[in-house]
Amino acid sequence: MKSFHLIRRSDVTLKQKVLLYILGIVISFVIGGIFLASLGINPIIYYRDMITIGLIGNRYPAKCVEGFLKLFVPLIITSVALSLSFKMRFWNIGGEGEFITGAIFAALVAFKLGPVLPTTAVIPLMGIAAALAAGVIGFITAHLKVKFNTNETLVTLMVNYIMLYVIKYIGETKAEWNFFLRDDSERPVFAKFPESAMMPGIKIGDFTLLASVIIAILITVGVYYYIKTTKHGFEVSVVGDSTNTAKYAGMSVYKITVRTIFISAALIGLAGAFTAASSGTISTDITNNVGWTGVIVAWLSKLSTPAIALVSVLISVLQYGCQVASASYPSIDHNFADLMQGIFLFSILAADFFGNFKIVKTGGKNDA
Amino acid sequence: MAADAYAIELRGISKSFGSVAANKNINLNLRKGEILALLGENGSGKTTLMNMLSGIYTPDSGSIFIEGKEVRITSPDDAGKLGIGMVHQHFKLIERFTAADNIWIGKKDSGFLLKNSRNKEIEKIAAQFGFDIDPTKLVMNMSVSEKQTLEIIKVLCYGAKVIILDEPTAVLTIQETKKLFDVCRKMKESGHSIIIITHKLNEVMEISDRVAIMRKGEYIDTVESSKTSEKELTELMVGHKVDLNIDRPIIEKTKPLLEIRDICIDKDEGTPAVDKMSFYIRGGEVLGVAGIAGSGQKELCEAIAGLRKIKSGKIIHKGENLVGKSSKQISELGIAMSFIPEDRLGMGLAPSLSVADNVMLKNYSDSFGFMVDRKKARKEAHEIVDQLSIVTPSVDTPVRRLSGGNVQKVLLGREIKSAPNVLVTAYPVRGLDINSSYTIYGIINEQKKKGVGVLFIGEDLDVMLALCDKIMVMCHGKLMGVVHANKTDKEQLGLMMTGALNLVDAKEGKTAGIAKDSAFTPEEWEEATDMSEGGSEE
Amino acid sequence: MMLDVITLFIFNIVIYSIPLLYATCGEIVIEKSGSLNLGVEGTMAIGAVFGFLAGCSANSLPVALLVSFITAALVGAIFSLFTITLQANQNVTGLTITTIGVAVYFFVGNALGKDWPYLPDADKFVQQSSAIEIPGLSQIPLVGKAFFSHNILVYLAVVIAILLWLYFEKTSVGLKLRAIGENPGAADSLGVHIVKYKYLHIMLGSGIMGIGGLYMGLNLGGTFEGSNCWINGYGWIAIALVIFANWSTSKAIFGTFVFGFFNTLRIYNAPLAATFPNALGWLSKIPAQFFSALPFIVTLIVLIVSSMRKSKNSNCPTAIGLNYYREDR
Repeated sequence: MKSFHLIRRSDVTLKQKVLLYILGIVISFVIGGIFLASLGINPIIYYRDMITIGLIGNRYPAKCVEGFLKLFVPLIITSVALSLSFKMRFWNIGGEGEFITGAIFAALVAFKLGPVLPTTAVIPLMGIAAALAAGVIGFITAHLKVKFNTNETLVTLMVNYIMLYVIKYIGETKAEWNFFLRDDSERPVFAKFPESAMMPGIKIGDFTLLASVIIAILITVGVYYYIKTTKHGFEVSVVGDSTNTAKYAGMSVYKITVRTIFISAALIGLAGAFTAASSGTISTDITNNVGWTGVIVAWLSKLSTPAIALVSVLISVLQYGCQVASASYPSIDHNFADLMQGIFLFSILAADFFGNFKIVKTGGKNDA
Repeated sequence: MAADAYAIELRGISKSFGSVAANKNINLNLRKGEILALLGENGSGKTTLMNMLSGIYTPDSGSIFIEGKEVRITSPDDAGKLGIGMVHQHFKLIERFTAADNIWIGKKDSGFLLKNSRNKEIEKIAAQFGFDIDPTKLVMNMSVSEKQTLEIIKVLCYGAKVIILDEPTAVLTIQETKKLFDVCRKMKESGHSIIIITHKLNEVMEISDRVAIMRKGEYIDTVESSKTSEKELTELMVGHKVDLNIDRPIIEKTKPLLEIRDICIDKDEGTPAVDKMSFYIRGGEVLGVAGIAGSGQKELCEAIAGLRKIKSGKIIHKGENLVGKSSKQISELGIAMSFIPEDRLGMGLAPSLSVADNVMLKNYSDSFGFMVDRKKARKEAHEIVDQLSIVTPSVDTPVRRLSGGNVQKVLLGREIKSAPNVLVTAYPVRGLDINSSYTIYGIINEQKKKGVGVLFIGEDLDVMLALCDKIMVMCHGKLMGVVHANKTDKEQLGLMMTGALNLVDAKEGKTAGIAKDSAFTPEEWEEATDMSEGGSEE
Repeated sequence: MMLDVITLFIFNIVIYSIPLLYATCGEIVIEKSGSLNLGVEGTMAIGAVFGFLAGCSANSLPVALLVSFITAALVGAIFSLFTITLQANQNVTGLTITTIGVAVYFFVGNALGKDWPYLPDADKFVQQSSAIEIPGLSQIPLVGKAFFSHNILVYLAVVIAILLWLYFEKTSVGLKLRAIGENPGAADSLGVHIVKYKYLHIMLGSGIMGIGGLYMGLNLGGTFEGSNCWINGYGWIAIALVIFANWSTSKAIFGTFVFGFFNTLRIYNAPLAATFPNALGWLSKIPAQFFSALPFIVTLIVLIVSSMRKSKNSNCPTAIGLNYYREDR
């Protein structure tokens, strides 16, 4: 009679863990390759184009980097922001809704104040409006969670869909009041922002480094130090670890939760504003699923800010690379990136398991 | 061989968790129809060993024989089939189910459809074993001893021949313990073999035929209960000679430091937890609080520390009312609280944070500016680690990686570091081995000598009788009386804990729990010069 | 004319509520076993796309049913593998299931996209699922046709909901399952095979969701457009509905009907407004997006109000969302 059972282990070295993760990633590529091959696509060429985000043999490499950064900026801000929520064991999966809210309020400022104010005023105002509006959503969910123990996962989930229909309503309703749409079109189409509401940038040859990229990096570094060295960050780790202990230490769990979730949601709103200002308009699919991807990135990174930065780069390469690589194959589109992302996560979860458990065979009578 | 075979025989059982060896090469046997006490300190591996018999854990190596035949137990199902039943320390009951359904889940011949007659059937089976239960009562509405009875009926129902009881008396009163022992003797008469896990020596002597002793994961010896003494058992258990006496230094007591008058506190659900209690603590004394678990001890601690709303009544600290003050203000006044909850890590410590971070938990906000002062915290942590000889790789190690005793030392150490004048400590030795426990008692006495008033909420009456100056008994949130530790005994305390004896009502003309020299009225304060007479409980 | 409008309206409520009923029942089975599966959307998408494809190529409804059930159940097996055997976080695993499920839906859809809307036998296949009139009952004026002239999948959903209710409340196996959701440690100590029970019930629940996906493909989708998944957020509504129905599959029948009502208002507000201009004329002024958002708004309100009331009689399984590992100390 043979049987297997699991034992928790704590003897795995960092090197072994890294090896496990690398193995997981390799297996993911193999699985993805099988999918590709099944469609008659050469996985090696596809992966080459994907990993190099189309830089090889491209006449406009600057455009590739810009396209990659367009995906990277919202993703890293959202993931970092979500990790703040998750550190408090607050399951904010409302990234999508908060992102849309930010984008709508940024657009509101852009259309109303863009024509009368200069860029130096409009862009910050857009950011502030977006952060506040999204922050309010965070504030309300956190308030409900602390006061009534309302399930925050489901509340934020519902808000995602409600906000999706709000932006759809704005984008699909031709009306007198609707200044979000183009005047000169019969069909409802979102209008372009005025020139002053476009994200400014520094020209380096062909390449334009948008201000949002720099701010995103600053936010990431800022959140890292916020968690590591400030009293607020200390409070976040204590509340996340044990609310009883936090209360015992005289901390106001309400204040800390509401404040942190406000910041988390406000940052996601800001990401929405950046995305809107960078592309100069909004759309109903402006989020590009960044609210969901952010959850996965934050989790893959085990909520560590440096790891989030790294994983955000990798996922953005994956997503943008898939777009580029898929351009030459009609039978595949950017959804393949989602598929790969899911397979990656599963491989990492499996790698985690083998890092934490050992499978032991128990059988026979050959025991000591 | 088969005729005089043991009910259970373990040979060379080993089990480790990660790098920690919980059981090392254990040999143990259980005779048919005997009561075997399994004695050992917390962390000596008793429960782990028994969990391997009940199929919760699988041994890494070694073999198990039942009535001479080698068997393999890989799941609770296997154990059940072999006639082994275990009553776990933390009951394995489903709170939302009825008594009958809790038993029904594990019945082998329960059929596909759920018959309404199952209630009657269960009641009948229980009656066969001599128990009278209400099969439709929900577990969540049961008392602790009712739940335990249900657990015992459960294992009997499934036809267990060998019954393992894990620390069954930890949650019971003296009277309930007696009842349980009667049940055990009856089960023994009807041919069952019983293993009782415990670390209480007096119980071992009372109930068992033989005692098996474990220490630090190793099997030490098995002795006949009738041919041993508590002293011998302790030495076997601890591994060296120990002085079982707890010190009780006599300190000159000062005026009441903390006076609690007519205090009422609600539980989370809004039902009363503490009902009109009055008592006081003097500087230089240890006031013990005895009571069955959940009698309002936790709520009382939290209220004193400012963590729970006080419905009515007053808490006077050196003449100043504490009611309405924040926990921060209260701790600045020198009132420190350490509470060890059942899971040991839930309150007072953040398990994933480092020792240093936990040390600065209460004063992190004192430093200037927006940043935390980790340098200072690490310095303080080093001091506490040195002072209380805490075993930890570094002050940056997460607290959850420390052993239980060291965790508790960190907690107490932090509280003492703030130089309190009142120390509220609840279950400070919960789950600790004897040596660590004595270290903790030493720390408490140290504080007492400094003139600190200590409120000691405890579980073990023997310890409280030895350590405390006075003992206050609570039952269902009501004060049952305050007695001098050297003028009472366990029997009396047990009666008070169940509410059978109420010394508060018995007193005439005096209000229990109010000091003669209360800070309330300065005139009385002047008169009360003779401190040794104590309060009105005399 | 008036009566026809009302009948048609109710008829459509039933149509829109049925996929939700499948999904909700499936999720309830899973949650009763103590797992919270946020992958409903993805599981339904997989069941839908493979069930529909298989149905088309075999030109058979039973084949479609079977394939949608089996493929979705396999997705459930993956969820089980990760959360039960590999002890991964349930929220993250569920979200990933949704990501992968929808991605596979599009992947398969795109791969076969050229032929998709005109699969040679798609029309015939969909016709197979046409209405069955229940003799007698369907003759009841006004509501007879609305409730009792649907395709087989509608009746099947109601039968499944009732059978599940009986299973949970009236059988020993159901009792054991609920015990696992309440306290897996207790159930385990009594010899209930936790792993087997969880795997089987997560697969069963996922399979039921898959049929719901197929139903959406047949009735609400049927063509593959490339940008919108057939499931279109229904999986998420189902997760909300489990709470609304208080973890009871029989209450879910009522709950899904309420949600189907909102959805039907979105599509049939115009005829209703035209037929009853005085009483319901205002309906036409309400934007369609509001009706789409209504299920989410209502669930949000239910969530908030029930948490404010701190309702004690919630049937939410106690151990939901927590992984069980026997040797954890």
